[in-house]
Amino acid sequence: MLNVIDYVPGASLLHRMNPVSKLALAASIILATFLSQSWAMLVGLLMLTLALGAYAGVITRLVSLLKVLTPIALLMLILQLAFVRGGDQVLLFATTEGLATGGRACLRLVGVALPLVLVLTVTKLTDLANACVEVLHVPYKYAFTFTTALRFVPIFTQEMNAIMEAQTARGVEFDTRNPFKKMSLMLPVCIPLLVTSVGKTDATALAAEQRGFYLRTRESSYKRYPLRAADAMAFVFCAAIIALGFIF
Amino acid sequence: MAAIIELREVSFAYGQTESLALKDLNLTIEEGGFVGVIGPSGAGKSTLASVLSGAIPHHYTGRLYGETRVAGLDTCEASLTDIATIVGSVLQDIDAQMVASVVEDEILFGLENFDVPRDQIEQRLTDALSAVGIAELREREIASLSGGQKQKVAIAAILALAPRVLVLDEPTAALDPISSRAVFDVLREAQRLTGVTVVVIEQMVALLAEYCDRIIVLDNGSVALDGTPHDVFGHSDELRAIGVDSPRTARISNSLASLGLVEVERPALTVDEAQALVMQALDGRTAPTSDMRTRSYAPHDARETGACASRGTAPIVELEGVSFSYGAGCASVDDIDLTVRPGEILGVVGQNGAGKTTLTKLLNGLLKPVSGSVRIAGLDTRSTPVSTLATHVATLFQNPDRQLCRNTVLEEVSFGLELHGVDTTTARERADAVIERFGLPAQSAPFSLSRGQRQMVALAGVVVLDPELIILDEPTSGLDYRECMTVMETVRKRAHMGAAVIMICHDMEVVSDFATRIAIMAQGRILDCGPTHRLFTQSDLLEQASITPPQVIDLSERLADIVDPSFAGITEVSDLVARVKELKHRA
Repeated sequence: MLNVIDYVPGASLLHRMNPVSKLALAASIILATFLSQSWAMLVGLLMLTLALGAYAGVITRLVSLLKVLTPIALLMLILQLAFVRGGDQVLLFATTEGLATGGRACLRLVGVALPLVLVLTVTKLTDLANACVEVLHVPYKYAFTFTTALRFVPIFTQEMNAIMEAQTARGVEFDTRNPFKKMSLMLPVCIPLLVTSVGKTDATALAAEQRGFYLRTRESSYKRYPLRAADAMAFVFCAAIIALGFIF
Repeated sequence: MAAIIELREVSFAYGQTESLALKDLNLTIEEGGFVGVIGPSGAGKSTLASVLSGAIPHHYTGRLYGETRVAGLDTCEASLTDIATIVGSVLQDIDAQMVASVVEDEILFGLENFDVPRDQIEQRLTDALSAVGIAELREREIASLSGGQKQKVAIAAILALAPRVLVLDEPTAALDPISSRAVFDVLREAQRLTGVTVVVIEQMVALLAEYCDRIIVLDNGSVALDGTPHDVFGHSDELRAIGVDSPRTARISNSLASLGLVEVERPALTVDEAQALVMQALDGRTAPTSDMRTRSYAPHDARETGACASRGTAPIVELEGVSFSYGAGCASVDDIDLTVRPGEILGVVGQNGAGKTTLTKLLNGLLKPVSGSVRIAGLDTRSTPVSTLATHVATLFQNPDRQLCRNTVLEEVSFGLELHGVDTTTARERADAVIERFGLPAQSAPFSLSRGQRQMVALAGVVVLDPELIILDEPTSGLDYRECMTVMETVRKRAHMGAAVIMICHDMEVVSDFATRIAIMAQGRILDCGPTHRLFTQSDLLEQASITPPQVIDLSERLADIVDPSFAGITEVSDLVARVKELKHRA
């Protein structure tokens, strides 16, 4: 099953960079998105993310994510329009100030989500965890928890789908068009999902411990993640982005 | 050989429960053996695996008595990590066993943690991958692998750590016969190459008989039988009383021996051995006579006419030119025609990925055909909501846990009826009747029951609906012999009462015992559909679908060719034994 955060194999510079530099890059784009007040800068940062995605060959993933985010962003715009009032009235309850604040909020929402997903699509989870442990001295326990949680997302989605199918076949009206009815039908189904999830997590913990989880140290990883010239350049680039975000 | 595992008077009870999962268990396992553990569900097989791997007492809490030593190490004193350097274990849930998303990283994980020197890691990694024959999968995402491949990755990840004992808990439960055999081949090869001791918990008796050099039968938490496969399967009556199946060939040789038809030193475990035995029993018999051929079809004919009797009635399932595809490279079905009438039990057999599960989803309406039409009880699935179809079709899914969602067994069983608009009181009454017949605890929470009992609860939920069509997806996987027979007898009764049954099953013995007709699938197509026995004797067809025929049919066909044509058409142990007896007396 295809997942938005699954790794897409490739050999671009973005793939080969140290996972930590990729994280830094994403973080600086996000930070700049929060700092920046100008429309040009916000759109520019978004374009930068999309350009990086296109370069790494994962643009289709980012676009499919955009499709999911757009309705949420629009909902946010409407809420902002209703709550932030000021300036001239444009249409109904929309005001110029509301439009300005809401519009920026929309762009920020998208601008924050995309860089993170970009990092996950060009980095193997194991590399991300190992690099964080080696370079950033993150305790392995936390790195493992994080990557395992991400890895379980598609597994649990699959499980949920299977449960929904089984219940549909029994006659539960999941094929109803009423979304509220569907929601109320889904609640009892969470029980089997919860039971299997707890069982799976426990089994994973046991399996990891039986393969020496507690012996692992910062030096354990077979692969090494040194910072290279490209990474140094990436850090300079990061600083520049943050500075730009601060100024504009 | 030195003992690598020693259990002395080991008893264990989970958590606060009173009942003992293991009772005064004494066991010694020598280094370098290939040991199979079998027993009915609830016999303590998984608990034994946990004790061997140190998960008991270090992971699961409860009361543990006695002494367990692995390579001289007391498992209560050593840490789980230290035990893990000696005993490597592969869990039942293979997805949960994985810690990485790529095969290479999965195998590196243990090597890195146990501080294997860097210059040896590459060698150990490639050795482990090639030992299980998956060198080409090194860069693959684990999520994209098949069940059999995942199982091999899990075994490789443990073998890389060079443990002295390998413990596997039902490694073939979710696999088709060919993949199951491949896993056992891998284990045998690993044992030959590295001398690792293999302890495998398994339900497939034919595999155990063929690969193991020692079999331990557990019952009620202690050892009931222990010995070589020939020793253990010589006691097929005792095994049956415990609730454990024996290879059909062993049952044949045991019956022949008890009738005094042949001197049996040890039971036949393979078709070859059984063939030799029957030929020995009939030694000096006259040349084959041709007129008996028609008569010998008698036991089988009865079943066929049973199916034919319903020819006149309207079919429940009609598939015409049905095709479906999930997209390129995925399982699909292609141009399927199929008609099923009331009273029939249709077995659908084929390898994993042949399109069997897709077919069931097309039948209960979860999937709609891309072309062609699916009609269930006269309703076109494309225009009928799934919830409406559900009043005609009931499905028993492979994993019962996905079906259960209520707080008590009673609520669970009556839930389906209530969904179909039956009022609560009537639904409860009908549910009560079925629960009582199945002997289930009505007020217990379904998730507190054993795997086999949960399957029975799910089945009760299907039977109570009194559907016109019952679909079973692997109804017997994860069940012991006795549970398997209870489930299948219930299904057979339903069919007699006029329901049509379609069952997907990897266990060819079950298919040959219960199905009136089979459909053989490969690459999304039905290669052929016809009476069970006729198709099971067409070896080229079976080969095409990678299916091994049931032992009895294989044997009777061989005997028909070599010894006497009257063996043709025999599908059951008792018929074959009776035939041998008759021929012997005539001679």
